[in-house]
Amino acid sequence: MNYFDVVNSGLLYSLVGVVIVFVFILALYFTRKAWVRALEIGYTKEKLMTVIKSTVIATLVPSFAIIIGLFALAPVLGNAWPWLRLSVIGSVTYELMAADMAVGSMGIDLVDLANANIESFVTVMFVMTAGITSGMMVLLLFGEKIQTGVGKMGSNKHAFGFVALESFMIGLLATFLPAFLTEGLVGVFTFFTSSIITISLGLLVMKNKKLGWLKDFILAFALIGGMASSVLWTSLLG
Amino acid sequence: MRTREQYIREINRIGRIGVLITLILLFAVPTIFGIYHDAIPSLGDFFKAASGLLVLFIPIGISEVFIYSPLLGSASYVSFITGNIMNLKVPIATNAQELMDTTKGSEESDVITTLAVGISAMVTITMIALGVLLLVPLEPLMTSDSVLIASAYVIPALFGALVIGLLKPTGDFQVKGKVKAGILPFIVLFIINLFWINTSDYSGILLIVMIPFTILCAYVLFKKGQITIIEKVKKESE
Repeated sequence: MNYFDVVNSGLLYSLVGVVIVFVFILALYFTRKAWVRALEIGYTKEKLMTVIKSTVIATLVPSFAIIIGLFALAPVLGNAWPWLRLSVIGSVTYELMAADMAVGSMGIDLVDLANANIESFVTVMFVMTAGITSGMMVLLLFGEKIQTGVGKMGSNKHAFGFVALESFMIGLLATFLPAFLTEGLVGVFTFFTSSIITISLGLLVMKNKKLGWLKDFILAFALIGGMASSVLWTSLLG
Repeated sequence: MRTREQYIREINRIGRIGVLITLILLFAVPTIFGIYHDAIPSLGDFFKAASGLLVLFIPIGISEVFIYSPLLGSASYVSFITGNIMNLKVPIATNAQELMDTTKGSEESDVITTLAVGISAMVTITMIALGVLLLVPLEPLMTSDSVLIASAYVIPALFGALVIGLLKPTGDFQVKGKVKAGILPFIVLFIINLFWINTSDYSGILLIVMIPFTILCAYVLFKKGQITIIEKVKKESE
């Protein structure tokens, strides 16, 4: 059996499939718990359906970007392992970097992994798993304490804790924005295209009540418009 | 009806069990695969390959829990299990909170976020599974120049929409002037990016410093009265 017969074998697909099915059921269980609780605290099914519709549409677009990660990883790691890595915990950027670093530490180039032995591939599997699971271990130990803390911070609406909660998102944007705003004009133009679409659609919804349904899809349209514009900006600006 | 505490306790219990089982399953995949192929690496080989990655990603993984959990609440469990947090779960959570006009730290915000993140996780898992199934027919499309360019700019497109959403106040209590907390952190990083180094590859590590820095700025501005908390006056018709 050659390398790709092994890494695309029925055994690996079955093992990976079990984990993914479990995680899917877990997500379904959490969704159901939240749905029931939302009804208990007074939300109507119609309101919750608007959240679901908006979420589904807004998720589809970034999901394409994740699938592209599959095409980057599959030629080196086969199909089954990247399927697991991108479906559970992973992120496209981490997986590529992790695979590269793990293989590099063994003195092999990532593209040459197929010529190495299966033990190297198994080592890469262990390393990629170990590197990404530290957050989950912390969540396992401190998740409830963090939840309680957040509940307390949000409970007093006149204390600084409430401001601190709102500051997390500001801090995230302040960290991520400068990197791509200074990286090149295409990123800047894409960012502003998406912002302008968001503002325009928001104003349209505010001014025309008949277009109220559009409110649920503003993020999706801004994403599609922004990403599509990046192709235009790249062809114009290079 | 259950109390908020009962609901949170239940979600945390399921979350912890889910995280534990996922961790066991994740490590079971390379273990079973390695045993079957008689290719389990020695501890020495593992640490040789993993050390660089672990040094880099363990601090990031730990800090991510403390940074993203306040934004995601009970949805942290599903978010950390399924990954793609910054490029998918945080925007989806923010979008759902805005749609339902919830107040940060409230039970409404927590429940709506969990619902949206659960749905988003299931959609992504399904999309990636379809990507694996349709790997061959999809390849020409997914590796075309336009799709590769557009997917490379998913983050600027997402942030363009998010920034506008951030300026729009939501919930019964609003933090007026909160964006001011991000000005100094943004300027510092903007200068570093402009004159020294592009920080996009280091965003995970930078968050460890930038989030506390932003909260510190928010604290100073709150004490000086530059950031205030105001209660939204509801209209009669509402």
